Amino acid sequence: MSLSTLTKPWEAMSYGFLDGSAKRELRRKMLKSVAVPGCQMPYASREVPMARGWGTGGLQVSLTLVNPQTCVKVIDQGADDSVNAASIRRFIAQVAGTPTTMDTLEADLIQSRHRIPEEILREDQVLVLQVPNPEPLRPVQPNMSIARQMHADADYGRMWLQLYEQIVRSGRVMQGASYPSLVNGRHVMTPSPIPRWDVPKLHMARHLTILSAGREKRIFAVPPYTRVEPLVFSDVPYKVEEHGHLTCTRSGTRGFFMNEIPQDDGSSAFEVSDSEWGVKTIRARDGDGESRGETWYKNGEMPQ
Amino acid sequence: MLATPAPSPAETRDNAAFDALLWAMSRPGVPRDLPEPGEGTVITALLDRECLVYSADPLLMPEIMRTGAELADIDRADHVFLGAMTASDPLAAVAIGSDNYPDDGATVIVRASLGSGAAVRLTGPGIDGAVTVQLGGMPDGFWKARAARLRYPMGFDLFFVDGARAVGVPRSTNVEEM
Repeated sequence: MSLSTLTKPWEAMSYGFLDGSAKRELRRKMLKSVAVPGCQMPYASREVPMARGWGTGGLQVSLTLVNPQTCVKVIDQGADDSVNAASIRRFIAQVAGTPTTMDTLEADLIQSRHRIPEEILREDQVLVLQVPNPEPLRPVQPNMSIARQMHADADYGRMWLQLYEQIVRSGRVMQGASYPSLVNGRHVMTPSPIPRWDVPKLHMARHLTILSAGREKRIFAVPPYTRVEPLVFSDVPYKVEEHGHLTCTRSGTRGFFMNEIPQDDGSSAFEVSDSEWGVKTIRARDGDGESRGETWYKNGEMPQ
Repeated sequence: MLATPAPSPAETRDNAAFDALLWAMSRPGVPRDLPEPGEGTVITALLDRECLVYSADPLLMPEIMRTGAELADIDRADHVFLGAMTASDPLAAVAIGSDNYPDDGATVIVRASLGSGAAVRLTGPGIDGAVTVQLGGMPDGFWKARAARLRYPMGFDLFFVDGARAVGVPRSTNVEEM
């Protein structure tokens, strides 16, 4: 054994910013989180040059997965061009030399904050969701040690109680985003603050989804073809946002999740939230060729 | 501005090995290609000095020691290399974690011959319907020994390595012997 076999050649920066031991720890935890779908696994969550709470969890997963051939797309609340998305995309490209794209169909790895793209993801694509609060039990049990025990016991009665109280008080379930969902019939997870519109896209999806909370240091996953069922009462069906009849004022696309833009006269205009879908629709309208893929929602409805 | 770092050969190999392992774990029963034959790339992609490792195959020891991982008894190890198994007894001692921390369940790497021998039918997360895979070279009672240990979400996760091909069977998978 010589010194050269024990050391590695000097590098100005490790490939993909994270050092080897950070990557190996994330790899081990990712495998475990896939093996137990929806179960929150603790991990170290290293420092990255970005404030915690701004997607550091997702970024660490992306940096572990990428290689120079991985085509990366980053979304922030549906848009590819917002500051958070653009900065993360540029950072990944800079430290890992990856090609980047805005096209959902071209991407190999999609890191997203608060939305799942409208086009159906393929088997070979990986969706990485940034998670601010990974603990669905926090509103009903702030003590995280007790919450962990409740997960261990599959003790989710209080989750239903919370939904029941919302229905009694307000006449409907008030939970708008991060709708608690039962994964593989065992663990309740938060799907990250995606709208209710996006939760059915995770159910029996073809792609792998990894959810990572950098500030909270927890990672969990939804493998392909895994049951993801929003918590509902049998007589109160799950309802997605009523956006199926809305038309985007910029692109004219209809039947997708919209951003509401208040107008001066008190009315609202709507703009499709998945910005790249809007761009593709405009391109098709202007005769620049059809690049739109198949979507989860068809005519504003999720096929059963 | 810094130049974009280029991946070293070791980084490229570990990244490819993990890609194969993650794919294999998320699609149980579907073989995936490791960058090199054998357990070597699994060891370098996953192990370092934070790991407790048990290896039944002495030929893997030098490679494991090089990662800095600590050797441990089989019931304490988080990564268990069983090599080519002759008896299913070791499975009775593998760590399965706890209900609070299912991630303490071990990752078990076994050598098998894919595409020959007894067939098993797998169902569960990651599988569209059911998948049948032939995993030869397993000792008698292997799947019974696995089933006896699993108390989902407690359990251990299996990788079967045949040359450069790897098949994953996580604890969430139901295995039916054909």
